[in-house]
Amino acid sequence: MYKTEVRGLLVEGGKTLGDVTRDIMRPLETRSPNWWRVVFGFASLMSIWGLYSIYITITQGIGTWGVNNTVGWGWAIINFVWWIGIGHAGTAFSIFLLVLRQKWRTSINRAAEAMTVVAVMCAALFPALHMGRIWNFYFIIPYPNTRGPLWVNFNSPLFWDFLAISAYLLISASFWYLGMIPDFASIRDKTTSKVKKAVYGFFSMGWLGSTKEWIRFEALAFILGGIAAVLVVSVHSIVSTDFAVGVEPGWHTTIFPPYFVVGAIFSGFAMVMTLMIIIRKFYNFENYVTDSHLGAIARILVFVSLIMGTAYLTEIFVAWYSGNKYEIFTFFHNRITGEFTPQFWAMFISNALVPQLLWIKKLRNNTTVLFIISIIINIGMWFERFNIVVTSLSKDFLPANWATYHPSWIEVGIYVGTLGFFTLGVLLFFRYIPMMAMSEVKGVMKFNKTKAK
Amino acid sequence: MEKQAYIVGVYDDEEPLVNAAKKFKEEGVKIHDVYTPYPIHEIFEIQEVKSRLSIAAYIYGWIGGLGILAFMQYAAVLSWPLNYGGKPVNSFPSFILVTLVFTILFVTIMSLTTFIGRAQIFPGKTIDIIDPRTTDDKFVFVFPQEGTDRKKVEELLKSTGASEIYDR
Repeated sequence: MYKTEVRGLLVEGGKTLGDVTRDIMRPLETRSPNWWRVVFGFASLMSIWGLYSIYITITQGIGTWGVNNTVGWGWAIINFVWWIGIGHAGTAFSIFLLVLRQKWRTSINRAAEAMTVVAVMCAALFPALHMGRIWNFYFIIPYPNTRGPLWVNFNSPLFWDFLAISAYLLISASFWYLGMIPDFASIRDKTTSKVKKAVYGFFSMGWLGSTKEWIRFEALAFILGGIAAVLVVSVHSIVSTDFAVGVEPGWHTTIFPPYFVVGAIFSGFAMVMTLMIIIRKFYNFENYVTDSHLGAIARILVFVSLIMGTAYLTEIFVAWYSGNKYEIFTFFHNRITGEFTPQFWAMFISNALVPQLLWIKKLRNNTTVLFIISIIINIGMWFERFNIVVTSLSKDFLPANWATYHPSWIEVGIYVGTLGFFTLGVLLFFRYIPMMAMSEVKGVMKFNKTKAK
Repeated sequence: MEKQAYIVGVYDDEEPLVNAAKKFKEEGVKIHDVYTPYPIHEIFEIQEVKSRLSIAAYIYGWIGGLGILAFMQYAAVLSWPLNYGGKPVNSFPSFILVTLVFTILFVTIMSLTTFIGRAQIFPGKTIDIIDPRTTDDKFVFVFPQEGTDRKKVEELLKSTGASEIYDR
């Protein structure tokens, strides 16, 4: 049974079931606020720069990027891993807590899943563009073709990546949509606008909320949740094998799969925190996303940050303990000291040290501090991927091959563009989709009463 | 869509609804359907409804897993064997990840299809909404007017705390 004494109330402010529907529907029924329009404008400009950069990349080729023969993976792969990491935690959050039957997920899971779907779409853009000839993209799909038939290499992590990301996107999107069906029905039955009634009615798929519908709905949610939980772990492990099967110093390690999975959960939870603070602040959802919700995420962040710190130190220890001079060079003379010192310490301080501030209860209860720390973690996680991709590639076994790397404006543009796409996606989500799963919030309301008895 | 005639009993909260469902069962009155804003597990048990979707998903998992293994065997070993760095053509261990991910994908697609088929849920379906407040904050029992002992049902509804009883 849920213990309100431990976690605090799930929904504060003495809300009734009807209040839940009204409150969560309000942003859909009212005119969008001014800040929404301003941010939408900015995000559109960012997206236009991104689209222009993508156009240049496709028409002129990868030569417009800063990558060279030595550093063949630049910002594109950094951003790919960064976005997919963020995209990871949304579903991880929602699904792990569903499988573990944690009631406090209900106000947060919808936004986390929305974030996942948009972030994974941004992520998928990068490897596609990195292929160079994006119009031959379909070659990676194994289907009986006229080229032999020539099949794909089933032993290649790059193919695993393609399969994992497509599967992840499809499953996350289905899971997200499934959860929205009852809420769309609520909007259909409650709204006074004829257009909304028709549109949400169409997407509610004829949902009525009968016993049989609910039992099948729950069964399906648990099936999708249960198997997607496996996928959450496997997708980022697969992304890590892209690196771990390479013989570059600093890549060829067995720690990579768990290290990547934890990193993904870390950055994703930080992004969930950022988003929830924005939602809570700008849409006045303090009663639904309570201090105890944010506190719970903060506590998870502290814990995961400890794992991250351990992973960083393990890597460094193993490099030293192995006695391998290339590993020692990479970690001690190319990361901790040397050309990439700022990037290494930016990663270490923002991921392993700064989140430790959240041990202090006073800071954990301060929304501004939480917001700043969540942003710092996201920046730190970007630097982690920079360290992995660029430092190892730039100085490998032969000094004659050494080269450094600077991104071109086109690469920067694509990254800024994806930030724009992401913001646009999230803003549209705020405007047109109920930000919290109404039916699920209503389902946990009864646990509020336990305390009163 | 032709509308059926129903007796509708409305409750304001989950607790009286569950108690009422128990009472109806004791009295041997069958409730045609229950509409609620969120899933209530006690009602599932009282109404004795079960879903076999997880059994179906388990079977799909076997089909998907064995299917993709067979396909990779065909593609990489029989149809076009290629030498990748001297690895054996049938490199079973490195087929495992593809097997795992594809199985999950297959189970998802098939379970969704089964759900749509069984629950008859699809975009743009025409429906007969009994009481629009059931997706908001009301809990509703529904009895068909034909073949129901109206007096007994209304009495039971009243005694179990239904806030409204009406014909539709």
